[in-house]
Amino acid sequence: MRERADTKVLPSTPVEKLRLYAVFGLFSLGFLYVVGGLAYRQLIQANDLKEQSDNQSRRIVLRPPARGRIYDRNGFVLVDNRARWSVKADLAALQKEFRSEYLRLLAAERARQAVQVDTERVMELARVNVLQGWLNKVWFVIDENQRKTVRKPAPGKSSPLAPPGERKVNIEDLRKHLRERRALPFTLVADLAFPVANMPAGPDEGVKAVARFIEQFPVEGPIRLESDIIRTYPYGGMAAHVLGYVKDSEELPPNVEDIAEVRSESMQKLRQTGKTGAAGVELSFDHVLKGLSGWELWTKTSSGYNQTRLKYSEPVQGSNIPLSLDLRIQRKTEQALAEIKDSQGVPLPAAAVMLDVQTGEILALASQPTFDPNRLAGRITIADYDEVEKSGAWLNRATQGLYPPGSTFKIVTAIAGMRKKVVDWDDILECGAFYRVGDRDFPEHEPVGYGDVDLDKMLAISCNVWNYQVGLRAGPDALAAEARRFGLDTPLLETASSSDGPDAAYTELPYAASRGLVVPDREYKLRIKAGPWHDGDTANTSIGQGYLLTSPLHMASFAASLARGETRTVPTIIHDPARDGRHRGSTPIGLNKAQLDAIRGGMVRCVEEGTGRSAHIQGLPIAAKTGTSEYFKKGEKAHLAWMIGYAPADRPVVAFCVLVEGQLDTSTWGGKTAGPVVKQMLETWAGTGEKQSTEPAR
Amino acid sequence: MDQNRQGARASYVALAVFVAGWILLPSAVRRLNREAFVEFQAPALHLVGKSRDLATFWEKKSRSSEELVAAGRDLARINAALEIKLKGMEDVRRENTRLREVTRYNVPADYLSVVARVATRDSSSWWQRIVIRKGRNDGIRPGAPVVFGDTVVGRVTAVHLTTSEVDLVTSPGFRCTAYLEGDDQNRIVLINGVAANSLGTAKARVSVIPYDYLLPAGTPARVTTTGMGGVFPSGLTLGYLDGGAYATQVGNFKESLLVPSRDLYNLQEVSVLVPIIQTPGEALMQGDQFQ
Repeated sequence: MRERADTKVLPSTPVEKLRLYAVFGLFSLGFLYVVGGLAYRQLIQANDLKEQSDNQSRRIVLRPPARGRIYDRNGFVLVDNRARWSVKADLAALQKEFRSEYLRLLAAERARQAVQVDTERVMELARVNVLQGWLNKVWFVIDENQRKTVRKPAPGKSSPLAPPGERKVNIEDLRKHLRERRALPFTLVADLAFPVANMPAGPDEGVKAVARFIEQFPVEGPIRLESDIIRTYPYGGMAAHVLGYVKDSEELPPNVEDIAEVRSESMQKLRQTGKTGAAGVELSFDHVLKGLSGWELWTKTSSGYNQTRLKYSEPVQGSNIPLSLDLRIQRKTEQALAEIKDSQGVPLPAAAVMLDVQTGEILALASQPTFDPNRLAGRITIADYDEVEKSGAWLNRATQGLYPPGSTFKIVTAIAGMRKKVVDWDDILECGAFYRVGDRDFPEHEPVGYGDVDLDKMLAISCNVWNYQVGLRAGPDALAAEARRFGLDTPLLETASSSDGPDAAYTELPYAASRGLVVPDREYKLRIKAGPWHDGDTANTSIGQGYLLTSPLHMASFAASLARGETRTVPTIIHDPARDGRHRGSTPIGLNKAQLDAIRGGMVRCVEEGTGRSAHIQGLPIAAKTGTSEYFKKGEKAHLAWMIGYAPADRPVVAFCVLVEGQLDTSTWGGKTAGPVVKQMLETWAGTGEKQSTEPAR
Repeated sequence: MDQNRQGARASYVALAVFVAGWILLPSAVRRLNREAFVEFQAPALHLVGKSRDLATFWEKKSRSSEELVAAGRDLARINAALEIKLKGMEDVRRENTRLREVTRYNVPADYLSVVARVATRDSSSWWQRIVIRKGRNDGIRPGAPVVFGDTVVGRVTAVHLTTSEVDLVTSPGFRCTAYLEGDDQNRIVLINGVAANSLGTAKARVSVIPYDYLLPAGTPARVTTTGMGGVFPSGLTLGYLDGGAYATQVGNFKESLLVPSRDLYNLQEVSVLVPIIQTPGEALMQGDQFQ
């Protein structure tokens, strides 16, 4: 109390007052700074900050659309989408089991060795053990054999779905998953219907495996069932070169960028992996098949989980595409090609094409060896890629393969000769065992020659000497001009047919032969620095050898043009019932009726009694020309077997071309090797062949 | 005051000791306790069911003779209609037998049918479940499908000595595969029970409906079992699609609701189809034969 009485309040001095003002001023400045800052944030930056805040708490989830279907000309589905059911383990829900197994393993390890234990390794082993336990349970349920053996389990018993080795948790996959996607469930079985990659299950077996899991596996627990859409090719490798395959794509579809919310750079975007075409029609018509992506705008929790869906737009499935292929003919063609085997029993590389003569629509386009697009629809493994690469199946031999056309070119030589008026349909030429050109004898394939030969006989027996003479009389320029008139060096399938209008220019099948097609002439030989043109080159060209290179599709188109008496056929892979049959750049062939009849008669005779007898079908007149050309395979001489033509000969409806690459000997001949394939194709087209099932292959 | 506090403290301590003791008890003992409780409760459940049967009996017995005559007349008409239908079915049955003989197709007897009366119903929002008056003594095993006529009612989830618990189709614990009427490709869809809203009608969810599936015009689409999963025989009715399928968040599939074809809470009697051969799923649930 005394101290309080002693305390005196002193009057303020001028100095202290100044100090007070200074402090007051300082505080005022601070206050003004805060108010100014607030005003700046609230009045000027308000919109930006609000948007930033919204973006941080929102997320766009992009939903890829289902791709459109691909049909054949009769409405059979060639490419479809199917549900893929996968089994996944929720790692967060398994933490307790991991811990328990870890402690058990740790105790065992410590009891076994006193030295320091690698706890990381033990933890990894614990995870693998637990996941393996659950995977065993999944297999226990989905493997139908267990139903029979459930009372007496047979350890290690093989299943129709998978060998036991495939039922292990892949430790590398688990490590990668924990490193990159720890928050997501770990995939135990990627596709329940096809639990072993590259090993298709039997009929209904896959669906049964899915159903068994759904109905028999406990609903509650850490094992989840998820489903998504996957591309499926019901007929396996059939028409694989036409259909192509799809690959993963994470690119933003163009329509998604139009959404105002998505344009914001700062907003998190979760995109599910979509699919994009990688080859064939899947690639060339990707813009039609892929559809429009859907999107969802979500608010998210502080932990990053989706909370409320604010807006959404459904994905729109891509459009369907009707192909001009005929499933029955395509399937039979591939089966027929697969029957041509080498001495080891391996099918020879080959190609076959069948066209509608009037419209140019491709009814069958087969290339052998082929691949199964189902194996490439997910992620392509290195092993799969290498296997296809090693077999040479990437190449579409029908559109990309470049071969000398051999004797099938003799029709062009004959037309060139008649148009140049150096020979006529009824002229008879003396054809011996060989024909001397310069200082070299060009041989006939018949050792004693054929004697008197006219056009009709030449086409039936494929006489070489007749063509040497006519080719040399017409000259190399006439031969080249005629081949070009038929478009043998013009890229095909690169633009739509004229019926689609002048603006509809697109590639129908990617990577079809455009470079490398060769119709040789003097300038070409100089360009490749092979020296000046000789008569020998003309003789070679006249029988479809030498520098000539074309594709089976070109030769099929040539046959279709010949059947109509025109010069060009624009083949197309798209079916359009309204197609009018006009072909861009096509002109009349320029021969009189007698000449045309003579060519047709010779081609009919070729099948009736000549080199193409193996294609003969009772009651169906066929006009065809065989060819056996030489080429070098791995440095050794081999034969290419050709057969082109059309049927029925009197009222042409379909044109065809078959090519087979022979093995390293000369056992492959045009009529003998390619003829049976032509026969089976035409029998199926005419409906006289063995009844073909349209059930998908399993 | 102090005594009251001490009493309260003692009761908390007793509760804590009980809870701790329950947690620390071996799981076998806990399971035994649970089973013992269920078996203790079973006579009461039987009594409830039988009382209801008795009440129904007396309710019917008290009807006037006019009402019974009218009911008898209606029944006779229905019988006559069914007779005609049965005659039509007889031809189909004969044709079926003939075809089986021609193809030498032997249909194995996969299931043993056990008829059971319904004792109680639990129609809470979460678990739509019934208790039936047959159990382990009658050969019922967990996982067995439960049907009424050609309609799936649910699936046995727990079996006791004289009673069994059945998860209805609308229960969240129910899952099976199904075909949709009008899908000519017979693609399987997933049926899952869902927890109903309070006072709402229980339904099940139909998911993974193919994008190109179109509802048949006119009538609601029937949803049937596939018979592929090894649990339910094929062709049984699960219910009907509600209103129409609509697109889901998944985007590439459609989703809809399933309306059960019968009022599952008014069933008096059901059949349990006990598989003659144990399914792997059943072995997995028991855990004793899993390799």
